Amino acid sequence: MFGFEAIIAHDGLGISVIGITIVFVSLILLSFAVSQIHKLIELLDKKNTSYQRVKKTQQKDQKTPSVSDLAIPQDVQRASRQFKLLIEWMGEPFSLPKLLYLSGKCGLSRPHSTINELLKCELIIPDENGYFIWNTRVEEKRSST
Amino acid sequence: MTDLFMEFLSNTGFALVDYRNIIMLLVGIIIVYLGVAKQYEPLLLVPIGFGILIGNIPIIKDFGLGIYESGSFLNYVYYGVTHDIYPPLIFLGIGALTDFSTMLARPVLMLLGAAAQIGIFTTFLGALAIGFPPNEAASIGIIGGADGPTAIFLTAMLAPRLIGPIAVAAYSYMALVPVIQPPIMRLLTTRKERLIKMEEPREVSKREKIIFPIVGFLLCCFLAPAALPLLGMLFFGNLLKECVVVERLAKTARTSLIDIVTILLGVTVGASTQADVFLTRQSIGIFALGAFSFAIATASGVIFAKIMNLFLRKKINPLIGAAGVSAVPNSARVVQMVGQKEDPTNFLLMHAMAPNISGVIGSAIAAAILWSFMSL
Repeated sequence: MFGFEAIIAHDGLGISVIGITIVFVSLILLSFAVSQIHKLIELLDKKNTSYQRVKKTQQKDQKTPSVSDLAIPQDVQRASRQFKLLIEWMGEPFSLPKLLYLSGKCGLSRPHSTINELLKCELIIPDENGYFIWNTRVEEKRSST
Repeated sequence: MTDLFMEFLSNTGFALVDYRNIIMLLVGIIIVYLGVAKQYEPLLLVPIGFGILIGNIPIIKDFGLGIYESGSFLNYVYYGVTHDIYPPLIFLGIGALTDFSTMLARPVLMLLGAAAQIGIFTTFLGALAIGFPPNEAASIGIIGGADGPTAIFLTAMLAPRLIGPIAVAAYSYMALVPVIQPPIMRLLTTRKERLIKMEEPREVSKREKIIFPIVGFLLCCFLAPAALPLLGMLFFGNLLKECVVVERLAKTARTSLIDIVTILLGVTVGASTQADVFLTRQSIGIFALGAFSFAIATASGVIFAKIMNLFLRKKINPLIGAAGVSAVPNSARVVQMVGQKEDPTNFLLMHAMAPNISGVIGSAIAAAILWSFMSL
C-alpha cells in the first residue's frame, strides 16, 4: 500500500495530529509551570520575610526587661513622669525633635540628657516608622517591681 | 602445506571482500575525515566512522566476530544499543551539562521546540506514503528531531533492524546542521527579521534551577510516561548539576560517563552498518526521508517563530526557531552564525539555547507518543 491510502489505512493522520497536539500541550504546560516558579518563590520569600518581621516584633514585645533595665535613676524617674504627661498631650506616635522643642519650651530641666536616658531605659522606643512611642510595658514592669 | 596456506588466504579480507564492503569502507573514511578535518561533531563522527570501518571488514560468517553474531565482543557492546541502555545514559550526561537558564528566563520560547517536532510527524506520514510499515515510519520520522539518542531509543523499540541506517542518518544530519539549516533559515526570513535584537533574559535564581528539573520531570512524565527513561535521566542529570551538593556525581555524568557511553554507542552504531544490512534501497529511502524531516523541522521552527511575532509585544528573531531541532548546541551555534552574518553585534546564541533545549524535551515526548501509539 502506498500514498494517501497507506496513510489512511494506518491511521497516520490521526497519530500525527494527536501526536503534535500532545507535544504542544506538554511544552505549553511546562512553559506555564516554569513561568510560575519564580513568582511562587517570590511569594514564599515575601511571606517568609513578613513572618520573620512579625516574629521579631513579638519577640521584642515579649522580652522581659531585666532588673538592670529597670534600674532607672531617681532623677530620670521624676523627669519621666513630666515627659509622659507631655507625650500624652502631644499624642503618639511623636517625633523626638518635637518632644525636645516642647520640653525646652515647658521649662523641663536638661531635656537632651533626660530624653537620652529615657531612650536608654527603653521608656521611649521607636515605632519603626521614624517616630517614637511611650513604652508602657517597661513602666508597668518597673512599677510592679 | 599449500592447502593450509590457500585456506588461510581464502579467509582473509582480500578474498572475502565485495564491492559493498568497499563502498562502506569509503563511507567510513569520509565520516572520519569529516570529523577530524572538518570538525563536524567530531565526538560522534570519529567513533561512528571508525565503527563503520570495524563493521565492514569482510569476515567469515559464524566465526563469532561480527556485531550480529551472539557471543562476539561487538555483540555484547551492541546490547546497550538494542536494549536502550545507552540513550538514557547519554541524556543523563546532557542533563548534567546543560544550563536551562535561558529557557527558564523566557519560557514562551519553549513553543519553538514544540513547533520543530512537526518535522517528525510530517516525515512519519511521508514514510507511510512511500510504503514503510508504521513502526518503521515512526522510527524514520524521529530523525527530524535531530536527536541521535532519541532516534536510537525509538528505533530499538520499534524497528531494531533499522538501527544502523537511522542512527547514521540522525548523527550525520546532526553533524551537517551548519550545512543544511542556513539556506532554509535565509529562505524563510527577511533581512529585517534577521536583524531583530532580542532583549537580555532576566536573572534566574538558583532555587528556580533546582525546582525546574523536578517540576519538568513530573509534568512531562505524567503526560507522556513512555518518555520516562529519557526525560527521567535528563532531568535527574540536571538536578545533579544544579543542586551543587553532589558535584562529584554531576562531574562524572557530564564527563567520564557520557564519554564512555558515546564511545560505545558510536563504535557499535557504526559497526552495525554492515554492507549487506546497510546498503539497501531502504537505507537510501531512510536517508532521503531523514533530510526531508530535518528540513521540515527547521522550517516549522522558523515559521512558528514568525507566527508568534504576530502576537508578541517583544519580538523574537525568527532565526532562533531553527534551533527548535534538538541538535544541542549545534543548532544554536548555527543561529548565532547566521544572525551575526547580518549584524555582527547581534548575539543570539543564548536566546537560541532555549528552543534548542526544549527541542530535546519535545523530541523525547514525540518519541514517547509514537512508541505508545505503535505499541497499542
